[in-house]
Amino acid sequence: MKALAAMTLDERVRLQFEVEQFLYREAELLDDREFERWLELLTDDVHYWMPVRRTTTAREADGAFTQPGEMAFFDDDRAMLETRVAKLRARNSWAEDPPSRTRHFVTNVQIKDVAEDEITVACAFRLSRTRLDSEEDSWVGRREDVLRLTPAGLRLARRHIFLEQTLLLAQNLSNLF
Amino acid sequence: MGAKDRRAPLDVAELVDFERGLVDRRIFTDPAIYQLELRNIFARVWNFVCHESQIPTPGRYFRNAIGNDSVIAVRDREGAVRVLLNTCPHRGNSVCRADEGVARSFFCSYHGWNFDLNGDLLGVPGYDDFYRGTLDKSQWGMASAAQVQSYNGFVFATLDSEAPPLEEFLGWVGRVGLDMLCARGEIEVVPGVQRNLIQCNWKLAVDNLFDWYHPKVSHASAVRLNVLPESTLYPNDQMVLLGDYGHAIGGPGLSSENQARLERQHDESAQTAGADGADGSRRHAHAWRLREDVRERMGPVGVRTRGHPNIFPNLWVASGGTQLCLRVPRGRGVTELQWYTFVEKDMTPAERREVIQHAIHFFGPAGLLEQDDGENWSHSTRGAAGTAAGTRPLNFAMGAGLDAVRADGDQASIDTVVNEHGQRWTYQAWADWLAAPDWPSLVANHTAPPTEVI
Repeated sequence: MKALAAMTLDERVRLQFEVEQFLYREAELLDDREFERWLELLTDDVHYWMPVRRTTTAREADGAFTQPGEMAFFDDDRAMLETRVAKLRARNSWAEDPPSRTRHFVTNVQIKDVAEDEITVACAFRLSRTRLDSEEDSWVGRREDVLRLTPAGLRLARRHIFLEQTLLLAQNLSNLF
Repeated sequence: MGAKDRRAPLDVAELVDFERGLVDRRIFTDPAIYQLELRNIFARVWNFVCHESQIPTPGRYFRNAIGNDSVIAVRDREGAVRVLLNTCPHRGNSVCRADEGVARSFFCSYHGWNFDLNGDLLGVPGYDDFYRGTLDKSQWGMASAAQVQSYNGFVFATLDSEAPPLEEFLGWVGRVGLDMLCARGEIEVVPGVQRNLIQCNWKLAVDNLFDWYHPKVSHASAVRLNVLPESTLYPNDQMVLLGDYGHAIGGPGLSSENQARLERQHDESAQTAGADGADGSRRHAHAWRLREDVRERMGPVGVRTRGHPNIFPNLWVASGGTQLCLRVPRGRGVTELQWYTFVEKDMTPAERREVIQHAIHFFGPAGLLEQDDGENWSHSTRGAAGTAAGTRPLNFAMGAGLDAVRADGDQASIDTVVNEHGQRWTYQAWADWLAAPDWPSLVANHTAPPTEVI
């Protein structure tokens, strides 16, 4: 692909459209609990990572998130994500039985970089989870995704998830972001 | 029995029936009980605050809680670890809002009182002009925990000046529990303490750590994935250690015969190839226990246990001795879980990664095991709140009266099958703590660990 700066406005609008449609489609698959079809949208070398966030002073704000190799909430390769999906599908997977109702809101989609076959995309998200008697959890944050253009279309090669919460208010993270 | 509650008003002595394994459900819901817990347990006990590796140099701090008090663990200018109450003596405002970091001093955002790392009051705006010489700064520093002590790097603090020394409080069971982490070698906390809230009473989270009955059901989905061997989750050989003041270890253990065999093999070959045991997947899992210094330190019984220790009241030595999980009460129906993950400083990058990945993938809020626990605890808490349901005691009777305590030197264990001894012991100790008006009374009157039948 051309570098972002070299693209015409028409090319950029088209790429933006394709990226957004991919993200919406992918979110829809998660909300529809079509997890296996969601996995099909991931590259074999996907990295899915949610670091731990800490409240810091403004002076030390650069250190709010843990670094790769430190503790995280998710630090998954494709095999681990497949395991998570298998768990969601397994009998007596209590955290999701009865199933949660989830809704992913994806917005503020910005293409940050285009290099070779990879597109770096930042977005804001809100994941809303409702369970049982309308118990609600909500996670707001920023995602940094890398989408790779493959012969089969766009695929997710990297997802870094940066939550706003430091102390998580939810009893678990049994859903995918 | 109808819904009518015919029982007398709460009498602490009546809430736990140790022999029969019955626990009154009101201990999970009653507001007066919760207030009593804050006073008689959390404001009195040695509370885990942090590990020294989290605050290695002067000015480094880590904010935590002791019961419902916010505290700051900080390394002062002399290198000593201080635990300060995070409240300005002037109006009560917190002087530290960050979770961790480096400070030169603690500055109150309300009126600007400024405190040294040891809590001394350094500066007061308007000291001359407004107070006009009447404020004695030496009397208005930040309050400290009454006592702060470390056990091999684990920093504990108590708000009670009458508390016995930390090691005496821990006793051999508490020390063995922490040794599972620190006897391996020099350890440090991996950056990033995972924290999340569960809508449950803190005791229901604590008693689960001894529970080797639930994995087959609660964690059935994780087991079906074959990511953990069944022997890890359903060990048949169970071993329980019970200590003074409520410390306990429950879970898998090796028989003394198997331990002796391992030690013999080790001594003969002088090799440290992985010992067998519940968690044999990692090279590191148990080989360290065969070292002479570890055998000496943990004792003949302690070195055989592979179970889950609880340092009373709320510190779980988890994940085969690579994590701590602290269960902080945030109200009678809300508990904050904090996960601390430890690596040995001399681990290879690959070994370090393995420990961290294991922690992330099995424990913590997204862990394949841990994510299924929270709703059980929150619904057990709700189950205690029902007007009718709350009148029925909970059943912790598994194994009650059926097992013998065997002494080996001055250590003792109960070697048996899956049981609820650890839970019963925790609730008995809990009742002792609540009934005692002060430390001397607790020392004199707490239930001694059983020596014959449990």
